Amino acid sequence: MIYFSHDDGLNHETPPGHPEQVARLEAIRSALAGFDLDRREAPLGEDADILRCHPQSHIDHIVGSAPTVGWRSIDADTHMSPGTLTAARRAVGGCTAAVDGVLDGESRTAFVGCRPPGHHAERETAMGFCFFGNVAIAAKRALDHHGLARVAVVDFDVHHGNGTQDLLWDEGRALFISSHQMPLYPGSGHAHERGAHDNVLNLPLPGGTGGHEMRLVYEDAVFPALLAFRPELILISAGFDAHRADPLAGLMWETEDFTWLTARLCDVAEAVCGGRIVSTLEGGYDLQALGASVAAHAAVLKERGA
Amino acid sequence: MSEQAVTEMSFEQAMAELERVVGQLESGNVPLEQSIALYERGAALKARCEAKLKDAEEKVAAITLDRDGAPTGTVPFDGQ
Repeated sequence: MIYFSHDDGLNHETPPGHPEQVARLEAIRSALAGFDLDRREAPLGEDADILRCHPQSHIDHIVGSAPTVGWRSIDADTHMSPGTLTAARRAVGGCTAAVDGVLDGESRTAFVGCRPPGHHAERETAMGFCFFGNVAIAAKRALDHHGLARVAVVDFDVHHGNGTQDLLWDEGRALFISSHQMPLYPGSGHAHERGAHDNVLNLPLPGGTGGHEMRLVYEDAVFPALLAFRPELILISAGFDAHRADPLAGLMWETEDFTWLTARLCDVAEAVCGGRIVSTLEGGYDLQALGASVAAHAAVLKERGA
Repeated sequence: MSEQAVTEMSFEQAMAELERVVGQLESGNVPLEQSIALYERGAALKARCEAKLKDAEEKVAAITLDRDGAPTGTVPFDGQ
């Protein structure tokens, strides 16, 4: 497994008390400190990659909103500090470099431990702590730059990946699958939202859903859909806020559930795409649960992606 | 927003606020940070509605299960 991260992610500062905080990245780094990994610095994302998902006006808006001191609020959740823009570009660049590394055969798996997250960022709207659609940008790079015919994105963050859904809605070469608590932010993700090419699969879960029920949903719906679509690469929006300890949601998954889910996704990837998986960090706001869950996720990706 | 205690609400009050809460959560206008608090309020409202419904069902049961097969008016279920 290749692990992409960058110190610039520590410079994306959010206001005091904000859950998407610098300490999240520190918790992940501590959790992965003992791992023997192929560690690489996430490069800065290129406009050419971002432009496959967002118009120039969105890039200009984000660049133009960056403050020189303090914070500037994009919405009630989403704030920019002087270091945010570079951190956001590292998160994009980490994802595209991870796609390159895996598709070039350097490793079967990669994990991008960058922040800010990306799955809420819509085509022209930064929201929900997100600025650019990191995982969708990575999917488009795999399709347009590497020429893959089909990619899948699996989003197990507890919140619906409305941004990824928006960016891939009319992309028939991409299958987007999201499991998420509903009702909860951002309010989208109903099962009837299916994409322009029947390429979106939403699996809303009621509050309190535990790991056992999650496993049934993934076995019944997610894995068969992936096997039928036969993606040539599986991308994961890895949010760890479905953990029972998370303060921003009400699902009841345990750390072992992330181990199970990662292993089963590796099984599917081995069956359809040579085991190729690129996973990128999304949410997860209880620092202890986040660290433990990322370690569990990475341990499987490392073992299976050797 | 008035935060009336859920335990003091009538079924109609709880149901009306539950519909409003679900509508807010589905509107996408609630900040991510606040949506779990709103969800928890909704869960409490749902529990209140279910409790009031159960009360009502027990009252209906008290009438239909009257030993003479005839309605007995307003005798509470708990009183039998």
